[in-house]
Amino acid sequence: MTLQELYTEIGGDYSEVRGRLPSDKFIQKFVLKFLDDKSYDLLISSLEQGNSEEAFRAAHTIKGMCQNLGFNTLLASSAELTEALRSGLTPEAGPLCERVKEDYGRTVTAIRSFQEGMST
Amino acid sequence: MKYNTMRFLKVSLALVVLLCVVVFTFLAYYMNYQSSATISEIGTIYMAGLNERISMHFETTIDYNLNQIESIVQNYPPRSADYGTLAENMGSNALERGFVSLALYAEDGAFEMLCGEQIQVTDPEPFFRSMQSQEKKVAVGTDETDDSIVLLGVPAAYEMADGRESLALVVALPTDYFKQILALDSDESNSLVYSHVIRKDGTFVIQSSDAYRGNYFDRLRALYQGENLEEAEKHITDLYEAMQKNEPYSVVYHLPGERRHLYCTSLPNSEWYLVTAMPYGQLDEVVSSMGNTWTSLVLGGCALILIVLGSIFVYYFRLTRQQMVELDNARKTAEKSLTMAVDARRDAEKAQQVAEHANKAKSEFLSNMSHDIRTPMNAIVGMTAIATANIENRQQVQHCLKKISLSSQHLLGLINDVLDMSKIESGKMTLNIDQVSLREVMDSIVSIVQPQVKAKHQNFNVCIYDISSENVCCDSVRLNQVLLNFLSNAIKFTPEGGTIQITLRETESPKGAEYVRILLQVKDTGMGMSEEFKEKIFDSFTREDNTRIHRTEGTGLGMAITKYIVDAMGGTIQVESQQGVGTEFNVTLDFEKAEVAEVDMVLPPWNMLVVDDDQQLCESTASALQSIGIKADWVLSGEEAVEMVVKKHQRREDYQVILLDWKLPGMDGISTAKAIHARMESDIPILLISAYDWGEIEDEARQAGITGFISKPLFKSTLFYGLKKFADGKEEGEPKEESPHHAIDFNGKHVLLAEDNELNWEIAEELLTDLGLQLDHAENGQICVEMLQNSQPGHYSAVLMDIRMPVMTGYEAAVAIRKLDHPDANLPIIAMTADAFSEDIKHCLDCGMNAHVAKPIDVREVARLLEKYMEN
Repeated sequence: MTLQELYTEIGGDYSEVRGRLPSDKFIQKFVLKFLDDKSYDLLISSLEQGNSEEAFRAAHTIKGMCQNLGFNTLLASSAELTEALRSGLTPEAGPLCERVKEDYGRTVTAIRSFQEGMST
Repeated sequence: MKYNTMRFLKVSLALVVLLCVVVFTFLAYYMNYQSSATISEIGTIYMAGLNERISMHFETTIDYNLNQIESIVQNYPPRSADYGTLAENMGSNALERGFVSLALYAEDGAFEMLCGEQIQVTDPEPFFRSMQSQEKKVAVGTDETDDSIVLLGVPAAYEMADGRESLALVVALPTDYFKQILALDSDESNSLVYSHVIRKDGTFVIQSSDAYRGNYFDRLRALYQGENLEEAEKHITDLYEAMQKNEPYSVVYHLPGERRHLYCTSLPNSEWYLVTAMPYGQLDEVVSSMGNTWTSLVLGGCALILIVLGSIFVYYFRLTRQQMVELDNARKTAEKSLTMAVDARRDAEKAQQVAEHANKAKSEFLSNMSHDIRTPMNAIVGMTAIATANIENRQQVQHCLKKISLSSQHLLGLINDVLDMSKIESGKMTLNIDQVSLREVMDSIVSIVQPQVKAKHQNFNVCIYDISSENVCCDSVRLNQVLLNFLSNAIKFTPEGGTIQITLRETESPKGAEYVRILLQVKDTGMGMSEEFKEKIFDSFTREDNTRIHRTEGTGLGMAITKYIVDAMGGTIQVESQQGVGTEFNVTLDFEKAEVAEVDMVLPPWNMLVVDDDQQLCESTASALQSIGIKADWVLSGEEAVEMVVKKHQRREDYQVILLDWKLPGMDGISTAKAIHARMESDIPILLISAYDWGEIEDEARQAGITGFISKPLFKSTLFYGLKKFADGKEEGEPKEESPHHAIDFNGKHVLLAEDNELNWEIAEELLTDLGLQLDHAENGQICVEMLQNSQPGHYSAVLMDIRMPVMTGYEAAVAIRKLDHPDANLPIIAMTADAFSEDIKHCLDCGMNAHVAKPIDVREVARLLEKYMEN
């Protein structure tokens, strides 16, 4: 699996990222680092605890990472979630969080399989 | 009113004229009468005076003559001589003294003539009596020739020839003598007055020349010429009675053709009466000429007064008419103002109706809204109850939650709209003007609506024509809102398979060279609107009352909000719509050009081919390419494209890049790409252009030999950045060639980067280290502030600040840094955030930060800003 294929898989704009970031190696490094980021866990736990402020920040961070890495699908859902959480918990947050979960799951799964492809 | 005044004026004029004429006529008549009366009086006085004078003269004359006689007597006293001598002397003396005859009057009444002719007394009886009683007497007599003479007798006892003593001495004088003395027979024919001396019986003693009758009474009767005899008799009787009583008599008698005044007095020493008559003829003439003068003067005066009166009337009449006209004008003005007042009231009523209508619309809206809010609310409440009841049934709960979430979203949308509207209605909505990239705005809008368009299987097209100023000053959030509202409406009301197109065009702005006019068009093939609804689409609180719309969610406030925003931006909206055909919104906005120094966009002088079925887009794209140094041809279909490519190849002028639209009529983009590759040995890079998501078609495209993808809208910068990588060398990792641009050497400069996220930090660090910067990491705002405080002065050149951080946000950190007691408290702080809304940017600047960059981190932009602020 190539980086480009990975981006296609997770709904990202490879050419844009490629234009912005210096090299494929660079991109690859940070794409893999995405797996280690704890923001998603923070988001989920904050939402469970009903801590909207923390959840907002976490969603915001995810949005920022996705912007940097060009993960457009997850970017869209996390951005919407961010807005839904900006002024506290809103009814939209629930379903949007579901979408973020779904998109995040897909992204992470794809990156993992990409990682596996590299190691083999 | 007008006619009444005129009538009053006319009537009063007539009355005044009449009064004038009557008064003056009366005056003239009365004065005439008065003057004639006065004349009579004057006549009487004059006549009396005249008569008196005449009678006095008569008396004096008589007295004189009597004295003469007495002188004779004294000179020749009786018995002073003998009779003969005495008679002779006396006779000659008498003749000397002017007497005609001298005689001695005997006791028997006979005359003994001493000289002159024999005389006789006409009426001897009274004469004799007077002589006997020793009185002096005057009488009339005759001489020998029977001529009339006047006799004067003075008693004297002379010896007569026969020896007897005489009774009196009598002298005779000619009548003419008296006439002359009394001027009774004036020669002057024009003399007014003439006199007679008469006896009581009317017989003349002395008569003026023209009196031919023997008796004055007969003469009077004759004068009346047989007319008015009664008056004549009356005058005669009166005169006679007056003579009897020895009283003066004065009368005015009217003869045919003239008037005469008669005055009669008795004469002394005689039985005679002096009658003086004066004809009024001339006097009358004088008087009547005076009367005429008087009358004409009166008439003249009357006329003058009338003329003056008339003039005054005419003047007054004109004045009144003028006043009438003015009054009329005033009335008209008043009427006009009244009309205006009525109009104003009507307007006010209309305004009131409008207000009432608006009020009604509001209450209707409220009731609709309540209903709209209740529906999803009911769903939420109901679904929550169902979920609670079936808490064990996972599937059921999931279903309920899905419904709840949908309803909540709907509800939130409604509430947001209402809040926005109330913000607008209370005038609290303001624009945050900032520099905005139209490309970014359009890109984000396209990426937002793409999923919806895809879900409804609609055709979506974005066309950018001739945009030269991509960066403008406006409120990006509100601009986004406007675009989203148009597009989401278009998507909402366009059925599956319909087409939605958004077009952006730039023209010159009438506001000047610093402005551009952006023409935005959103066109769909949706259900359209009715004419009536089109009228009030921008009114607040309206929604087309139609069953098919009731299925569609929304507050109906979207367009009102949109309209308000466009108005606030100074733009206009036009809408054209036809039911069942589609709707077209045209928005015109004038934006100030942003002052950003645009990146010098130049690419190698390639030959390029643009393939799109929209000619305008082709032309626009070609000119945009030309401006970045590329020579571009364009064709409108895949078939033509293949032809062109082959032709150019044969001329050895191969295209370096081909831009190919995905959706083409006939041969589509992918087939065209395949056809080109089939005809050509060499691999010409072909880039697909589309408003759709590249991901869906990438595989197919790659297989067809398409090298890459440029997303519509095609701004100049989109083209530049999309094509640049081909200029930098095909594919693999070419290093960025930014460093040579830098005016400042970043090497060894320390920059503090506050970023809580590990991954983001690492990316930033790696990118910025490449510029030669030394980055220090602060995990949150608090740490950032502390690190700066503890640093050596001048150690850090700038701070890059994330906003959303735990413990202390970027905003708070920036405020805290500015308050630090540290020489570097004013160092450049550049915000880095994923929130690119103008409100956020404003907040950053309000907190004391210098600038703002949006994530994802664009090294060029960061470098540019660092350069800009570190230089200062």
